[in-house]
Amino acid sequence: MNMRRFLLVRLPVALCLAAGCGAWAAPVDELLQEYQAQGGKDFNAAAGDKLWHQFFKDPKGGEDRRCALCHTSDLRATGKHAVTGKAIKPLAPSVNPERLADKSKIEKWLERNCKWTIGRACTPQEKGDVLVMIRSK
Amino acid sequence: MKAVIPSGPQGPEGFSPPPLQKVRVWDAPTRLFHWALAAAFAGEWLTRDARYIVPHEFLGYAIGLLVLFRLVWGFTGTRWARFASFPLSISAALAYLRGLTRRSQSHHTGHNPAGSWAIYALLALAAFQVASGIVTLGAEQQLGPLAGRLSYSVGDTAHELHESLAWAMLAVVGLHLVGVVVGSLLERENLVGSMLTGLKRATAASAVQPRRGVAFALAAMLGMIALAFFRGDSLDALAGARVRAPLTQDASWKSECGSCHMPYHPSLLPARSWSAMWEHSQDHFGEDLALQEPTAAHLAAFAAAHAADALESNVAWKIATTTPAQAAPLRVSETPYWKKRHARLDAQTWKSVHPSECNACHRDAESGAFSPRAIEVAARPAAAPRKAS
Repeated sequence: MNMRRFLLVRLPVALCLAAGCGAWAAPVDELLQEYQAQGGKDFNAAAGDKLWHQFFKDPKGGEDRRCALCHTSDLRATGKHAVTGKAIKPLAPSVNPERLADKSKIEKWLERNCKWTIGRACTPQEKGDVLVMIRSK
Repeated sequence: MKAVIPSGPQGPEGFSPPPLQKVRVWDAPTRLFHWALAAAFAGEWLTRDARYIVPHEFLGYAIGLLVLFRLVWGFTGTRWARFASFPLSISAALAYLRGLTRRSQSHHTGHNPAGSWAIYALLALAAFQVASGIVTLGAEQQLGPLAGRLSYSVGDTAHELHESLAWAMLAVVGLHLVGVVVGSLLERENLVGSMLTGLKRATAASAVQPRRGVAFALAAMLGMIALAFFRGDSLDALAGARVRAPLTQDASWKSECGSCHMPYHPSLLPARSWSAMWEHSQDHFGEDLALQEPTAAHLAAFAAAHAADALESNVAWKIATTTPAQAAPLRVSETPYWKKRHARLDAQTWKSVHPSECNACHRDAESGAFSPRAIEVAARPAAAPRKAS
């Protein structure tokens, strides 16, 4: 087995399940299966991390956008909405157990925020990678 | 009552006016009334902004009591404090003013005929301001003795009058001050000092007895009312159950709208604005709301039922009646009413607070109530510069 993948994906998932946070593991697993059916494969936290920090050109000429613009580079930290300045609760399930607990919420925010940040819908592969990355935090 | 100071050639043979000396003309309650009213009037100007509504209300009630006292004292007080000693006469006032241009030196023991007009005008304006203030408070904020008894429309009219007449009263105060200075120079007497000490140059027979007991009672009454007022909203308690129910809230609205910004209550924009909002939901200030059914329909229905047009609050009434019918603003800060109410805030304020963050100063913003009593102007460190989007 790929050691890197084991450390980044399987081990955190296993540890989390062992720690009793299966409540939020379920919706993500469900989504990962759907993304797999849509052509995604080998979801990878490192790829999700890379996408997280990647800059995308703002079509209106503002500051280039990336996930970290609002959510910061540290998923355990409180973020800040780039336009309204409203505080955004941490995304990391380890500090905010509400995250990744509701399938429809996950889908809604992936849809909205991919469009705003990247300028298009994310591919199943991208969504899977990011979800796996968030879950590992 | 008028004593003529001899000037120039002596009068007819044998005429000798009674000698003038410093005697008590203004009794203590009249002086206390005068300075308390002056201070309260100045205080009302300083507290005219909505955020100082509580001291503004208190000073208003205090002025009401002072005027009431003065009306009683005008019939029961000492000689020069009685209305009978300074009748409201146009001809006398005009004669006095004509006399000024000729610099004929007349000396009045009590109020001069022009000053009388200023006093009656100020008393009438003060009484009107108290009344219009109580009507505004009762109609717009549903506070005070008239809470819940009047429509928002009546409150709006009373509020406009309250603001206009405040300027009229300031103008009369200005005329009064000019009169005091001119009178002091022409009569060669420090009239401001007289109102402080009560002493004026007059015949011994003009003197009045000091009435310190009444002054003390008046001061004690004002002090006790101040205590009662600031220790609890006792006057509001009179209104009790007449106050209208709070605005309808919706949990889904709060979580959907509140994810990215303060959830503005639908009563802050007209229904046509909300329709436009849903029409442009794919480009909601640069973001795609990605609303799903049935949530989208639920939000639209909630907004339509409780939009500004439903006139469910004073702010809703103001926004609905001042936003042009052809305009459908998408931001509350684009409505004429918002602009009017925030015109006095300086650029410094907007460096630390964004206009979208109502709740930075309005503690009750999320409920949509926007009571002036819930305003606390933010004293926050300047936030990092915002990015345009």
